[in-house]
Amino acid sequence: MTETAAPTWYVEDDGVVERPDSPLARSRRTTELTLVIMSALITGAAYTVTALGTNAEIPPGIVFFVAILLGLLLCAHIVVRLVARGADGTLLPLAALLHGIGFVMITRLDDELAGLQATWSLVAIVAFVATLLVVQRASDLARYSWLFFFVGAFLLLLPLVPGIGVNINGARIWVSLGSVNFQPGEFAKVFLAIFFASYLADRRELIAASTWKVGPLRLPEPRYIAPILMAWGFAVVVMVFQRDLGSSLLFFTLFVVMMWVATERIGYLVIGIVLFAGAAYFSWTQFGHVQTRVDIWLDPWADPLDDGYQIIQSLYGLADGGLTGTGLGRGNPGQVPEAQNDFIFSAIGEEWGLIGASAVLMAFVLIVGAGLRIALRTDRTFEKLLAVGLTTIVGIQGFIIIGGVIKVVPLTGITLPFVSYGGSSLVANYVLLALLIRLSDSSARRLGELPDDPTPTERWKAWRLGRRLRRDERRAAA
Amino acid sequence: MNRQIRQLALGLMACYVVLFVALNYWQVGRKQELDARFDNTRQVLREFNKPRGPIVTSDGIVAAVSFPTAPGEPYDFRREYPTGDLLADITGYFTFAFGSTQVEKMYGDVLTGSTTEQQVRGLGDLLTGGTGSTGTVELAVRHDAQAAAKFLLGGQTGSVTVIEPKTGAIRAMYSNPTFDPNTFVNADFEIAQEIITDLQNAPGNPLLAQAYQERYMPGSTFKVITTGIALESGIATLDSQFASEREWVPPQTNDPIQNYNGSLCGGDLATVFARSCNIPFAQLSTFLGPEAMVAGTEAWGIGEPLPIDLPRPIASTFGNTDNLAQELPLLAIRGFGQSEVQMVPLHMAMVAATVANGGQMMAPYAVESTFDQEGRVLDETSPSVWKTPISPTTAEIERQLMIGVAERGTASCCIALNGGIPVAAKTGTAELGDPTNPDLSHAWIIAFAPADDPQYAVSVVLTNVQSTADVAATGGRLAGPIAKGMLDFLLTGPGAQPVVPAPGAGG
Repeated sequence: MTETAAPTWYVEDDGVVERPDSPLARSRRTTELTLVIMSALITGAAYTVTALGTNAEIPPGIVFFVAILLGLLLCAHIVVRLVARGADGTLLPLAALLHGIGFVMITRLDDELAGLQATWSLVAIVAFVATLLVVQRASDLARYSWLFFFVGAFLLLLPLVPGIGVNINGARIWVSLGSVNFQPGEFAKVFLAIFFASYLADRRELIAASTWKVGPLRLPEPRYIAPILMAWGFAVVVMVFQRDLGSSLLFFTLFVVMMWVATERIGYLVIGIVLFAGAAYFSWTQFGHVQTRVDIWLDPWADPLDDGYQIIQSLYGLADGGLTGTGLGRGNPGQVPEAQNDFIFSAIGEEWGLIGASAVLMAFVLIVGAGLRIALRTDRTFEKLLAVGLTTIVGIQGFIIIGGVIKVVPLTGITLPFVSYGGSSLVANYVLLALLIRLSDSSARRLGELPDDPTPTERWKAWRLGRRLRRDERRAAA
Repeated sequence: MNRQIRQLALGLMACYVVLFVALNYWQVGRKQELDARFDNTRQVLREFNKPRGPIVTSDGIVAAVSFPTAPGEPYDFRREYPTGDLLADITGYFTFAFGSTQVEKMYGDVLTGSTTEQQVRGLGDLLTGGTGSTGTVELAVRHDAQAAAKFLLGGQTGSVTVIEPKTGAIRAMYSNPTFDPNTFVNADFEIAQEIITDLQNAPGNPLLAQAYQERYMPGSTFKVITTGIALESGIATLDSQFASEREWVPPQTNDPIQNYNGSLCGGDLATVFARSCNIPFAQLSTFLGPEAMVAGTEAWGIGEPLPIDLPRPIASTFGNTDNLAQELPLLAIRGFGQSEVQMVPLHMAMVAATVANGGQMMAPYAVESTFDQEGRVLDETSPSVWKTPISPTTAEIERQLMIGVAERGTASCCIALNGGIPVAAKTGTAELGDPTNPDLSHAWIIAFAPADDPQYAVSVVLTNVQSTADVAATGGRLAGPIAKGMLDFLLTGPGAQPVVPAPGAGG
């Protein structure tokens, strides 16, 4: 799928035709600007009200805070406007809103973490901008698919390396380098999604053909499904050796969904579910920590002071919040251990009530909708699959952890994208967001909503090519 | 592939619909059930983690105060009671798991700044750079008077109550046994539970403010009430003469009533009141009859919980009155404060205060005023008349009678005040009639001074005192010196100094 055809636009370099953007594309940027300002104002207001609720004080640095926040978001917006101006206008504001709500809750729960999270927010925006600048065309990513595979696999397995891998809260998903701790798995999921999109885009027909007969089953050729089985293997490794049920479930769902969409065969979904059910049952019988999780899920009140404590406190918090919440800064979300991480959604449910928590759910639904709309609009298989993969990551990750804290599914430690405390998660999700925005922009250009201008890299390459051609011409003339 | 993508969209949407439904289930459907679960501490924690203002005595001593705890402590604040057990009956306690009592309970919303007025003011303050909204409660109770009461009571079981006759302000209300809230309010759950259970089971019920939450047989101090009813009804006057008798057999019985120690006792009203003869008052009670006596005692507020601004006051009682017409001997005995009559110590101070205040019984109050965080007055207690059981004329007669008790009667041994300040009093020795211990009694005195311009009314009761062969445990002898000490302290002693205004008072 690599683009080998030489671009043709430079031929008319005497005067590149100035074609204005379509009104639709222009209105997207206006929408984005308006929504970004609104989410900054909502965050600022929530920050103020929370401080009032907690200390009965208007936070002294509120103007500064809103200015910095607005500045960061406007930076991101301007970069989108410069290098991806055809992109969907709702993704960035939605992420910013979730990020802002999360930041307000983290500040309210723990002042020290707030400072770190602020730093990570800055890094995340920089990563967002950098991703947009580096990945100038979505199709570029497909060229490096195997690189992404190896980097992804490396990152995923990194915490298992003795010496740098660290056990935190029973899960071995952290890597400690000097004073910096990070969760490489957060990045691995993005990289593996890119690899899978590329791999499946190239071989979807072959895999779907299913020419290998095993008894009554018709399976794809073993060599085509080998990487898929490998992915399943990764999921198992993550579950067994890193004890990270949430990430394992997330990887597995990601692979199965992408296989299904790529092959258009529901059978893969079924096989995936059967495989997962088998693995889940096996691990339930074999691993104490899985059994504990399931037991807590079935009846947290069986051990209310130890194993069940966290989820019970989460439910009490949600109940205390009720429809309208206890008020920002007026609840006791600190009762829930790890409220700033996995349980941030129950903290929001407690203080912002059903109304606020539903707003968070809506934001995730809208992100999923925007992401899948990108997948529908684009005409290239790789981009479709990548958009599906990235969207599935956000959607499923949100579902797994929110479902976990409100006792819909067994609790598995995983972060709530954009909302939870944690640098790796925030940065990785902003990279993911930038990729979705890039995909959206690419499809908009191909749909002719705005001129498909050459990217700076392409301009530079064209200039080099042109120089060589002219030089050749001169030599030929001489 | 687009079909699969649309199906995926539906699938993910369905996931979030499930989450939304589950959220409704927990936050709305099962809210009440979860809120009510015994191990759900959210509601009480919210109350407990609010900043809480101080309780200050009227002479400016902090009786309860909150300090923020170090980060990581289970609660945001520690509640401390710098005066230990001295004011525990007034302030009560404020605990995480065991509720709160007294001022801490009654004024919880003021202390945490939760009253509507404080919230509205708090909003205004935010705009003008003010901070927070806790409240301060200033007691009518004086720390120095309370300390004097504790000192005078020594280790004896009983209580001392001082009120101002003209206003009803409680200046001291101390009782033994009591407790120190510091021992459990900040303790871990198990320790606190143990201490509180021990206190609940301890003899004398230290957790109660006995001065207004317990009642005791009043003995002869009740004669002030009987006399008041008789004077009001007109069946007795200052000139009434009572035969000098050792025994008197009331109707419906052959069992005679005797005076204290079986003595011979009689004369005019002033004499029998001063000597505290029993028979004249048994006769008055009988002649008045059940209806008049019951109505009369009700006019004095007996049978109604005291109108104090603290939680769970108890009511004094005249005993079971259902069949009193057939039980005239009981009515006769109750006329001098024995049998089923039980009076709250605070109520007896109010009885003295009524005589001192021209017949008007003021509603007692322990809290003088409340302030917001900026020191502005939220509320000031305005004195109010609770009952008017006797006319000013009757009150004047009774005042003279009580002066007689102090000058030449049962209190003359022990109540004469320093500096010759005139004082009025009535003693009481309530014989409990315990068959195993016939010498057990409650020793009472009620008094007010100066008798010509009453400033303070005091009631003292020492419960379950034991007479010995040498010393009769009478109200005059045992309780009298405590009342004298109290009035001396307040009128001519260190307590006579002008009251220092409380910090924050006066804005």
